[in-house]
Amino acid sequence: MPAAPMALVKGTLDILILRTLAWGPTHGYAISRWIREMTRDDLQVEEGALYPALRRLEERELVESAWKRTETGREAKVYHLTAAGRRQLQRDLDGWTRYVTAMTRVLQARPSGAIG
Amino acid sequence: MTRTPEELPLSGQKPVDEDVRQELQDHIERRAAELVEGGWTVADARAEAERVFGDIRGVSDECRHITSKARRSRRRGEWLDGVTSDLRFALRLLRRSPTFAFVAIATLALGVGANSAIFSLIDGVLLRPLPYPRGDQLVNVAEQHRKGASHLPYANFVDIRAQSKSFQQLAEFYSSRSTVLGANAPIRATTAFVTGDFFPMLRTTVQLGRLTTAADHQFGAVPVAVISDRFWRDHFAANRDLQSLRLRGEFNMQVVGVAAPGFDFPDGADIWIPLELERQATSRTAHNAAALGRLRDGVTPAAAQQDVSTVLRHIGETAGLDFDAVGARVTSLHADQAGGTRTPLLLLLGASGLLLLTACTNLASTLLARGTARQQELAVRTAIGAGRGRVVRQIFTESLVIAVLGCGAGLVLAEGLLRGMALVAPPELVVMQTARLDLPVVGFTAATALATALLFGFLPGLRISAVDTGQLMRGSRGASSRRGAIWSALVAVQVALAVILLIGSGLLIRSFARVTQVDLGFDPVGVTTFATDLPELNYPDVQQAIRFHDRVLELVRAIPGVQAAGVTLVPPLADEGPSGGIEVEGKPALSPAYPSTGHGIYQLASVGFFQSLGIKIVRGRDFAESDTPTSPPVVIVNQQLAAREWPGEDPIGKRFRESGMDRVAVEPWATVIGVARDVPASSRTSPPGETYYYTYRQLPNRARFLTATVRSILPTAQLERAIRAAIDRVDPNVPAEFGTMPAVVASSVATRRFMVLLLGLFAGVALLLAAVGIYGVVAYSVAQRTREIGIRIALGAAPAAVGRMVQLGAMGVVLAGVAIGVAGALGATRLLRSLLYEVTPTDPLAFGGVIVLLVVTAWLASWAPARRGTRIDPVAAIRAE
Repeated sequence: MPAAPMALVKGTLDILILRTLAWGPTHGYAISRWIREMTRDDLQVEEGALYPALRRLEERELVESAWKRTETGREAKVYHLTAAGRRQLQRDLDGWTRYVTAMTRVLQARPSGAIG
Repeated sequence: MTRTPEELPLSGQKPVDEDVRQELQDHIERRAAELVEGGWTVADARAEAERVFGDIRGVSDECRHITSKARRSRRRGEWLDGVTSDLRFALRLLRRSPTFAFVAIATLALGVGANSAIFSLIDGVLLRPLPYPRGDQLVNVAEQHRKGASHLPYANFVDIRAQSKSFQQLAEFYSSRSTVLGANAPIRATTAFVTGDFFPMLRTTVQLGRLTTAADHQFGAVPVAVISDRFWRDHFAANRDLQSLRLRGEFNMQVVGVAAPGFDFPDGADIWIPLELERQATSRTAHNAAALGRLRDGVTPAAAQQDVSTVLRHIGETAGLDFDAVGARVTSLHADQAGGTRTPLLLLLGASGLLLLTACTNLASTLLARGTARQQELAVRTAIGAGRGRVVRQIFTESLVIAVLGCGAGLVLAEGLLRGMALVAPPELVVMQTARLDLPVVGFTAATALATALLFGFLPGLRISAVDTGQLMRGSRGASSRRGAIWSALVAVQVALAVILLIGSGLLIRSFARVTQVDLGFDPVGVTTFATDLPELNYPDVQQAIRFHDRVLELVRAIPGVQAAGVTLVPPLADEGPSGGIEVEGKPALSPAYPSTGHGIYQLASVGFFQSLGIKIVRGRDFAESDTPTSPPVVIVNQQLAAREWPGEDPIGKRFRESGMDRVAVEPWATVIGVARDVPASSRTSPPGETYYYTYRQLPNRARFLTATVRSILPTAQLERAIRAAIDRVDPNVPAEFGTMPAVVASSVATRRFMVLLLGLFAGVALLLAAVGIYGVVAYSVAQRTREIGIRIALGAAPAAVGRMVQLGAMGVVLAGVAIGVAGALGATRLLRSLLYEVTPTDPLAFGGVIVLLVVTAWLASWAPARRGTRIDPVAAIRAE
């Protein structure tokens, strides 16, 4: 039986968005769907939370947006990474990897010698 | 409708509300569509999509908030970028038209500079408080007489101090410059004799030792002295062991204190000693010492004057004839100190104000012209889509750049002007040496100039944004002719202001010329003076003093190159001599109580005095070596005294004597042996008083303080060395103070020269500005009338005639300005009256000269642009529009 979905660690939504946009410009719904599918429902992301996050990234000039006509003929607000966004993603990924490695090392370690 | 930058959409952006609503809507719809594909019904899918989205309203509020904030701050950034590019553009434009930039900036700099300097000066001299605590409470107390005011006699001072209710303290003092021994070498120093309340009244303290006490201020007390910080450092090397410091002058004094640094009241005093050490005259008409009081809180000078007058009236009731006051005069010390400099300074203020006005007017017309020239450029920019706000901002930036550069240059100029003025300032305006640029003053002046620059830089811009751009691009006539009228009016005002300043300085120059042409009655060139004094301590017997002068004069006359040498009490132009009562034989006394038949100014002279200064003896003879202390007393009178006492008679052989104010001593009768030419005493513009000269050998009690006059062909420094050597041979302990008569003569006109210089400078600048203005308006009118002029020339008008026509048109404006200026000057020059000498405020020569000068200047200034007008190629001119 699958475990109950975890709440997203604060700040990690930004990394997910930047990571998604790293593959190419796309609109909010596509980002939302991709995160939903990739996390296989392990992470609980309220879909609406994506939009304020996108706009904050835009305010920080990590992403930019423009209204464009999509393949289906609908108008959609399409986001793309800026150069600054790309650099930020790289920093975040490095940080995240170090964080996870460290956490994993600690959590999997067995006590050797006198710890108490 | 106008919009602020925040409300305007950026390109490719939707308004925030729309942007958020549409984006969220899009999400819900796509989600629902996906669900429907997965088998949901349309209605259920919609509901499910909204459910998994979460709080739609909350999210959309948050999104709107984030994005509006982001857009606002980005617009601000863009606006700043715009300003920077405006600035760069403005600087580039100024570089491209350097003449315009130079004229505008120089004009502003002149106006701001002159005003800041003069304002700072006035602030320093007239407005800054006295350097004493509550200096506003300090008042001069004097007696009022029928002919003016004079010092308070000591006896009256004592009674007023006891009976008046107006003062916290009341003190008397006088100062003298005399020899002081005790320092390394004998020196001449200024000693102030002060009464007991002097220091407490000024609320000054000592930095070392003590002030004088009540016990010191008694007749017969052990003499003590307080010395100035400067004297202490210069002559005692700041020796802190006061016990070892003793001074010998009129008294043998122990130094007990060193005054606070900078304190040197009155008259730059070096030494203060108790006035009570000297026996004070008991006469109530001996006007010897000045009185200064500190008013009680809440007492006005007027109330104190009332109070002192009452006390004086009571004194008068019992004093009988030995009393000559009709009332008291109590005036603020601050106002009195500024007194002599007030009129010249206020006048300069007025003049610099006029200059600032001229500068602002000039700037206004320059900017208007500029605006006109750029009308089409700006219209084009508006037409191709530059917002009106953007255009106005561009013009605003340009005006601001000019204003800031102009004000900056003005401040530099002001500082330079202040330093320059300090170099040429007369001694009365000695405060100039310490005048500094004053921040509020500079701020005020700069603000005025800035406002002008912005206002007139703005006007054309505002009009452009109000006028139909199409009309402007086609070259509208209506707006430009209106602007031409404003401009002409501005030039007329400039001319008028220049006329006022020029007439004012013209009158001062004429006065100055008159004053310097005044026949002095003596020849100052080549005359060196030296003052000596022989205090009783060193020369207890006055006969010794006479022998000193005899011997020194003999040695000085023997110096090769010296033509004549003599001594006197007060040399010409240095001061008014002391005045006293005289008794002319055979004349009725003025009052039964006194033998006086009149007053006269007493002087001392010697053999060689009149000769050394080139003062003619018009009747009788000069003093001779045969006039000795034992020979019959003789006297020489000046023309004024001779004319008053013996009109139509030969004064030679007549007899008179000094009657003395106090009836202390009665001199023997002296016989008039000669009449000397009048020489000016205190100033060259006031007539000399009725003066008589004794020889110092026969009136020896005044022979201790004398000034020698030496005519020679030697260079000053060489002569001074030789004289010093001569004095040293007689007594090396007598210091001498050297001077030259040409310097005395020059300083007697120093204030006048200073005023002429500054006012002349201001007037010259105003004239220059007016010329620039005239040049500009003519050039403008030629540009406006290019087509008309072209047609005239095409129809056969002679180019010279066309040029004259243009110039005559400009002269109308100039003449209107001259007329206004002359009318203004008629009113303004009346304020100059007190500074004029033998010139009326409506002097026709000054007025006529200025009118001619202005018309000639205007003609020259309009000549070049008018000539350019006549070189117009008619075909090109007509095609141009």
